[in-house]
Amino acid sequence: MAVTADANVTFWYGCNMARHGEIVRLVTQMLEAVGVAAAPAGGPAYCCGSPQEANARIAAGMAARTVEKFNAAGRDMVVTWCPSCHMNMDDLMAPVTEAAFETQHITQLLVARAERLRPLLTHEVPARVLLHAHHGFHGRVPVNTDVPALLGMIPGLTMREHELRVPGHMCSAIAPRPGELARAHRDTLAAMEEAGADTLATVFHSCHREAVALERGRPIRVANWIHLLADAMGLPYADEYKLWRNAEDPRAAIGHDRVAAAGDVAFEQLVEPELRRAPPMQNGIP
Amino acid sequence: MPDLASGLVAHIRDNSARLAAPCTACGECYRACPMVPRTPALADAAPATVMAGIRDILRDQPGTPEAIAFAGACVRSGTCTDACPEKLDAAFLMRLASLRVRGALGDTPRVTASHDARWSARVKAFARLTMTDEERAEWL
Repeated sequence: MAVTADANVTFWYGCNMARHGEIVRLVTQMLEAVGVAAAPAGGPAYCCGSPQEANARIAAGMAARTVEKFNAAGRDMVVTWCPSCHMNMDDLMAPVTEAAFETQHITQLLVARAERLRPLLTHEVPARVLLHAHHGFHGRVPVNTDVPALLGMIPGLTMREHELRVPGHMCSAIAPRPGELARAHRDTLAAMEEAGADTLATVFHSCHREAVALERGRPIRVANWIHLLADAMGLPYADEYKLWRNAEDPRAAIGHDRVAAAGDVAFEQLVEPELRRAPPMQNGIP
Repeated sequence: MPDLASGLVAHIRDNSARLAAPCTACGECYRACPMVPRTPALADAAPATVMAGIRDILRDQPGTPEAIAFAGACVRSGTCTDACPEKLDAAFLMRLASLRVRGALGDTPRVTASHDARWSARVKAFARLTMTDEERAEWL
């Protein structure tokens, strides 16, 4: 996909979104469709410092480098995806290293341009959708109302209400605590049933990569909110992470040639264990 | 980068003091936290006592075991901010306490932080599968 040299915003997709290249691509296409030329930037070279937050010396260096790179890019706005990155920019990065740009979350930008987005949502997406909502981040950016507002513009799609809010700002926050992710998934399935939903819409990447395993053996769909907007816009994509995570043999699902091109050892040591690990809530357990 | 590090350390210390000063340790934030009933170490803890311990942590004091457990249990739900009668940014207050008990300022960690030592390599390995050569060259 060509990158716009004349981009007027940076789309800071974060680090772990590298697992979901199609979402980066789709967001860039959507922004372009509503009149925003975005240059994606992410990965470890644009880290917010969060993975090293237990060491302020290391985190400070990573965070400062990222702010300086955004400053050097000369764009007025950095559009965030990841709630950790967004909050770190507000709370720990920009207050320490002066930022020459405004920061806005992707949901805020799309809501602000909703009337340009609405006529592009021409394809019916028959789905009864429950939002996978967390308590956190909504106080900073109202994602739990903004995402349903955007999805509610899709023809054929209905949002289903439920009071469930999972602790934390996204699932990676609760994942290290034994049993919490399984509890969140059990609660989510119960909420889907109570709300009459057949589709779970994840907001963030770390939630998505855990929740996709809920599809196993269940007549439900797990999709990121961007996937649903893409369906409505007729934008082609494949949620490959979900395909790989739910495949009996991830290597075969990816394809041996593609694995070899990416590096066989790296795949075996870094990718395959994640794709093969047991789902937080084992299939069949209510 | 010593200047950058000292800048972040100073920012954490300054904001710790700024938020600890008006906190009355009433415990309303503690009562609103969804992680409290999920944290066995807090089963018999008194909200006001725990928050007094959190204030101690923010003031460079060791803190109580319950306060350390509460800071370690923070997953950034943010329900504390809405509950604070003093209208403090309680979520940021807890974030600072959480960073400090994890040893962010260079002292001995008081709680164990999960850390993926191969995070960077893992991200890049996934990127080689999900992004084209051109995309990786321009986006990473």
